[in-house]
Amino acid sequence: MLTLEAVGRQFGPLWAVQDVSFTVRRGEIVGIIGPNGAGKSTLFNLIAGAVAPSAGDIRFLDHRITGAKPYHVARLGLARTFQIPKPFKQLSVHENVMLSALRRHRTPHRSNPVTARTMELVGIAHVADQLAANLTVGLLKKLEMARALATEPSLLLLDEVMAGLTPSEITEMMTVIESLPQHGTTVLWVEHVMRAIMTVAQRLVVLHRGRIIAEGSPAEVSANAAVIKAYLGESYVHATR
Amino acid sequence: MVTLPGPTTRINVMSFSAAPRRGALSVIELLVLAACIAAAAIVTNRHAADVMIQTFLWGGLALAWNIAGGYTGLISFGHAAFFGIGAYTSTILLLRYGISPWIGLAAGALMAASAGALLTTVCARLRGPFFILSTLAMGEVTRITALNGQSLTGGAEGLEIAPVASVANMVFIGKAPYLALILVYTLTLYALSVWIERSRYGFYLFATRDDDDAAAAIGINPIAMRISAMTLSAALTAIGGTLFAQYFLYLDPTHIISPDISFKFALICAVGGLGTAIGPILGALIIVPASELLRSLLSQSSSGLHLVIYGIIVTVVILYFPSGISGGIARVSSALSRMFVDEKKRT
Repeated sequence: MLTLEAVGRQFGPLWAVQDVSFTVRRGEIVGIIGPNGAGKSTLFNLIAGAVAPSAGDIRFLDHRITGAKPYHVARLGLARTFQIPKPFKQLSVHENVMLSALRRHRTPHRSNPVTARTMELVGIAHVADQLAANLTVGLLKKLEMARALATEPSLLLLDEVMAGLTPSEITEMMTVIESLPQHGTTVLWVEHVMRAIMTVAQRLVVLHRGRIIAEGSPAEVSANAAVIKAYLGESYVHATR
Repeated sequence: MVTLPGPTTRINVMSFSAAPRRGALSVIELLVLAACIAAAAIVTNRHAADVMIQTFLWGGLALAWNIAGGYTGLISFGHAAFFGIGAYTSTILLLRYGISPWIGLAAGALMAASAGALLTTVCARLRGPFFILSTLAMGEVTRITALNGQSLTGGAEGLEIAPVASVANMVFIGKAPYLALILVYTLTLYALSVWIERSRYGFYLFATRDDDDAAAAIGINPIAMRISAMTLSAALTAIGGTLFAQYFLYLDPTHIISPDISFKFALICAVGGLGTAIGPILGALIIVPASELLRSLLSQSSSGLHLVIYGIIVTVVILYFPSGISGGIARVSSALSRMFVDEKKRT
């Protein structure tokens, strides 16, 4: 579904992402982990079209999307959330979600069922009439998720959706993410909350200093010496044993 | 296509409410519009009719500005350029080539639309104060060009349309035809604004206004939306310019393409309620008669005092009703309805 071949992005002399190649297959939940500054968000921006790659090739479904504009990529069925939520502040929560459904369903009225279902799925239906500007961080994260889902995407890029959520909200969100492939949405997910990503992701890609240092199942990755050294730390390994 | 799980809750997207709210057709809105139409139908006093014509015209022009400034966040202090382009195009076509202003109106709208599209394309990446400054510069460039293009625009002396009544020339005897024409212009713009607020196009404009990146992430091309909004707004402003020229029968760059005109568009929207369909009409209903009244009452006795009082009124409204009169009405109405509901619960 999504293929990256030797993708790289240079900022001045620094390669934020270098020689990154991996594939996401339909129906998978693939996690991307790595320490801060590893290039995870840059990688997302490259895939979503917010930043053009300096090298390599990105393909989504049957389209080459290398350097394509974000709105072109979105129209192909690739949705994303932002690490720092970007709500439409002057609109209500309902209107925010409805905007995403409008491309497929054309009128606010026809978008209603998708909007309502998405808000209930993510758990924001109770604040549907509130202005997005007045939401708490946790609700804003959920709104990001709802807005991306309401585009009814084939592939969803989730950028640290768990940050700012309470432990019980994290558990709820994990259930939501886990259910997405059954409904036709493949997931590529950047996350720092290890409990969530290690449980839900079927496969992990580990980035460090812009390069892939490991790839495999959560069990394989958490046993990988290079990953422990660069990111997880000995304490994580002891805690999970 | 993905089918999301979960029960379906019907949510009323567009409702009928007591007070003005974007996207909802309110009782107050309908009352205001009905009162405007009724007043236009029964007015006989020439001075009152003149104030009404100006009020409705400014209401319509502010509605046109609101499409760019209110719905799309393209705050423009150069809309007088589009107003001037409309007024001058139809007048020049009439005076030089004998072309009817009904056709000149469309030609002016087309010219202004092109200017609006060009401005927004060139300034596509400018935001906030930088965009505002570029619109101000465009207005000034247009004014200076009009002042210097004496052979075409008459320069500082201006252009005069002969007061010979004829429907083809859009010159009428008495105020009633002008009042009807301008009321149609304003009500059409109001209907268009209501449609925008309820349509996919309108929601795409709101998304572009609130966050470019988030809009692009759901498949909206923000630059295309900005260009389309400014083009539409410019064309509609130009139509108002033609109507203005045909009503006053005189044009000169200093008065027509002045920054004061551009500020007035923005001010009317800010006072009435930015980004709502009824806001610009409410703003015009307050600002235009107030400024006319103050001018006629005070300009004889102490020159400039009317501007001071006018300034105080505007400051008070903006201080105490930051979302405009329409926002204030909505606030009061929702407070009253909450009180009513609480009272009902207690009993």
